[in-house]
Amino acid sequence: MRLNPLTLRKLKRFREIRRGYFSFLILIGLLGLSAVSELIINDRALAVRYQGEWSFPTYGPVELGSVYGLEGTDGRRPVDYRRLKEHFDAAGAGDRVIMPLIPWGPYYNDAVGGILRAEAPNFERGHYLGTDTTGRDILARLVYGFRTAMLFALAFTALTYLIGVAIGCAMGYFGGLFDLLFQRVIEIWSNVPFLYMVIIIFSVIPATFSVGARIGILLAIMVLFSWTGLTYYMRTATYKEKSRDYAAAAQVLGAGTSRIIFRHILPNTVATMVTFVPFTVVGAITAITALDFLGFGLPPPTPSIGEMLKQGTANLTTAPWIVSSAFAALVVILLLVTFIGEAVREAFDPRQFTLYK
Amino acid sequence: MSKLSRAAFLLPFMALLLVGCGSGDRDALDSAALEERRAKAIAAMERHYATQPSLPPDLREAFERGEVTEDEIDAMAAAGELEPFFVFATPDDLPDDLVWEDGSDLPEFASPDAKKGGTWYTAVQDYPRTLRRVGPDANSSFRPFILDTVVMGFGQRHPEDISIVDGNFRYFPGIAEAWSEDKETRTVYVRINPAARWSDGQRITADDLMFMFYFYQSEWISAPWSNNFYSRNYVRAVRYDDLTFSVTLPEAKPDMLGRVLNLEPLPAHFFDEFGPDFVDRYQWRFVPTSGAYVVRDEDVRRGRSIALTRNPDWWAKDLPFWRYRFNYDRVHFSVIRDTAKHFESFRAGEVDGFGLNLPDYYYDRLPDDDDLVARGLIAKYTFYNERPRPTFGFWMNSSRPLLDNRDIRKGIHYASNWERVLREYFRGDYTRMRTTSDGYGEFTHPEIRARDFDVDKALEAFARAGFTERDSEGVLVNDRGQRLAFTLTTGYENLQDILTIMQREALQAGLLFRVEVLDGTAAWKKVQEKQHDIQFVAFNVGPEMYPRFWETYHSVNAYDRAFLADGSPNPDRRPKAQTNNLQLIANRELDALIERYRASESAEEMRALAFEMEEILYEDASFVPGFVMPFYRTAAWRWARWPEHFDVRISGNPLEYWLGWIEPGMREQVLAARRSGERFEPIIEVHDRYRPE
Repeated sequence: MRLNPLTLRKLKRFREIRRGYFSFLILIGLLGLSAVSELIINDRALAVRYQGEWSFPTYGPVELGSVYGLEGTDGRRPVDYRRLKEHFDAAGAGDRVIMPLIPWGPYYNDAVGGILRAEAPNFERGHYLGTDTTGRDILARLVYGFRTAMLFALAFTALTYLIGVAIGCAMGYFGGLFDLLFQRVIEIWSNVPFLYMVIIIFSVIPATFSVGARIGILLAIMVLFSWTGLTYYMRTATYKEKSRDYAAAAQVLGAGTSRIIFRHILPNTVATMVTFVPFTVVGAITAITALDFLGFGLPPPTPSIGEMLKQGTANLTTAPWIVSSAFAALVVILLLVTFIGEAVREAFDPRQFTLYK
Repeated sequence: MSKLSRAAFLLPFMALLLVGCGSGDRDALDSAALEERRAKAIAAMERHYATQPSLPPDLREAFERGEVTEDEIDAMAAAGELEPFFVFATPDDLPDDLVWEDGSDLPEFASPDAKKGGTWYTAVQDYPRTLRRVGPDANSSFRPFILDTVVMGFGQRHPEDISIVDGNFRYFPGIAEAWSEDKETRTVYVRINPAARWSDGQRITADDLMFMFYFYQSEWISAPWSNNFYSRNYVRAVRYDDLTFSVTLPEAKPDMLGRVLNLEPLPAHFFDEFGPDFVDRYQWRFVPTSGAYVVRDEDVRRGRSIALTRNPDWWAKDLPFWRYRFNYDRVHFSVIRDTAKHFESFRAGEVDGFGLNLPDYYYDRLPDDDDLVARGLIAKYTFYNERPRPTFGFWMNSSRPLLDNRDIRKGIHYASNWERVLREYFRGDYTRMRTTSDGYGEFTHPEIRARDFDVDKALEAFARAGFTERDSEGVLVNDRGQRLAFTLTTGYENLQDILTIMQREALQAGLLFRVEVLDGTAAWKKVQEKQHDIQFVAFNVGPEMYPRFWETYHSVNAYDRAFLADGSPNPDRRPKAQTNNLQLIANRELDALIERYRASESAEEMRALAFEMEEILYEDASFVPGFVMPFYRTAAWRWARWPEHFDVRISGNPLEYWLGWIEPGMREQVLAARRSGERFEPIIEVHDRYRPE
């Protein structure tokens, strides 16, 4: 792919803004890691050697104990790989279980000392950030919660941009009655209180929907009420570009509407729009965290940062590690995204220097 | 039944208002208007006394089923076919052979060491929205303090001696001086203590009892539950003289005495402006009480605080069973909405006591080695009590697909790991609920035990229902591809951890609970509309002698027309909303037992029936009994004192029987000690006289 020299220059400038660039690399790294978090933080084994055969249960279906020769009740219920490891080690028959680096899943209730409660960070047992009030590993829940939040935020950003840019651009380009009507529609639509709508709609979704479907619905609702903000910028940008000479020239040369929009106007508005991307991502992360915090987000026990913040504030004095982990994680993510955002804005700003008069 | 009379009352009243607006001399007219209003109120009351019929139970049930109309009943009443509800008789009409009792052989339960004085500081979550005791918004968390725990009934159930004598609990006298029960005529005769006074100094008389029935039967109070309760559970009230009356019940159920002695008369003179605008007119008027505490106007600081003040001239202050109680001079309530904040206020010494029922408060937030506890400044108490238990458990909707299969319901029983929750989450403090009605003494089935968690038995039960294979997530599926997955709903946000633990455990047996946490109102609405699969909820139950079965298990509360005429299930039946039959149980055999139980007048027979029904319910397996909290726990600052035995057997919290007091001068001493670092002997007490073995 050959990039426009202007774009290349912008990318170069982005790389030169070191804070933003490194934030970008770190965030990509984290995303990459979280994509394979099942291999790093999980209560399912990476590999099991049983009777000389290796198997890799991480991404496979749930296995019952009988697969590994467990008998009685243990043979009929899903394998607890940590106990299987103890069992194999004790039997000493050469069978092995290799657990991930951090052998805790986001749902596993670990009763340290026979009691389910918030435990402080415990390196020996592998709870590096401690556990929450029902003995679940905080690091595991943070990682899986982070992944959901990031995927959600990226999907949200892509969809709002798709709708916002399309409608904004159409309003700016066609103008006239279309513009007038849509402006009124948007004014009304954007006055619907978004959070209440999410709460109301989400409260009537039947619980029979799977977690994935619920996330999808939440995404759809949020996108539905969030695209309006972008149209204002897009509309103005399009108006501006449309009245430029090059657009008129293209028209005179006989270019069709779609060609003008996609080849001429859109590429020239990218600079404006791209600077908003990181802030949209931040907004989406904050929104889903807030919803979970209020109890209107993902159904329990899905791991999420908002749910953890809520638990943390309720146990502020007795289990400060919950709220501090969640808070630190949230701050780091938001900071990274904001740094990237600043760098992008600066890199895409056509003026190197700005003079305020 | 009195639509016409109400309209007749309203018209002149509205005319009066119009006249009042144009008046120059307001005061004179206002007082004239008030006089007229009072006259109207009395006229309405007298009309009610004269016309209110007493409906026999079968007629009332026919009316509820819609087989008899209101007009027909009015016609019957006009024709004199119905007995009157209110009867004004003379002392000569009293039967001669009455045997008067007064419970004076019972032991007192308060401590003579108690000292009067001081202020007890506490908090409520919501500011009371009214001082009325009935009608909209009256059922608030503040109501116990102006009604349930403070007001005197005619008699009160003895809270220590829970024996049943002659089919009744033991009662000690309150407003009544003595009573007499006639099982033949289902009537209880009561003699009021001549010394009894309202807090405004007026005498308490039999007229107040008559007025009470009128008041609660009136539609002006906007309280349908009371309307129903006071006209269905009583059939006659007779006034013999100022201090003697009798009340007749529709059936002579066990604890018939309690149904009359627990009544609380109302001060008729105070409600002299009683009318259609009662709800607004009496919104912030404190009702003169027979009890020890009054609310003074100047203590009502709306939205911020409210206080009870001890009436120094309380007529019963030296009365046996009532003396040495209600010791605090004032009880001050501030509004603290958040539990965590409430706890911090308690630690700061702004609030005197704090409930520690939840294990994390008892063990982690206020552990025994906490500085304030170890230095003896804050005391921790555990009190084992004995009373009917709230029914925490899983209520399955047996009208739902799959849940209509008994094997699946049994499997869910075996797949619910309450043991782990009790052991590891509640830390062994709570116990497993056994039946659908625990804590009713000899009315609770002695042998039934809830099914224990057992993966093998669960798998067997699910296999019988055709669920043998597991899908990739480990959830059982049948050969039609249905997954063994149910929505588990709750409105108890603070107990949702229990459900997430149970969810993981149930997966071992291939059962998937989809946990749904709603806010309290939404969850209740869902279960009332019978839209739930499985609901984690509890009914709170009062200290009654025997459990109720009709509300929760009779088929009329499950479906509209549950059965066809030939006794087979009606194929078109629809779940009935707004009833307490959450399991949608419709079982002819059970219905018959419930009807016998309802009609039975023998404690012995009712007990046998209760056991039989309990066994049927166990087999039906649509309720997974959850947990029972066999105690209450509380913490209090050191200046708070209680009797040696701490509290009484059936008490649910320290302010229910008001046995505590404040040691004079101690508050200053303890607060000074907190600053100076002085130590006291720590107080961590467990009172386990009534601990179940």
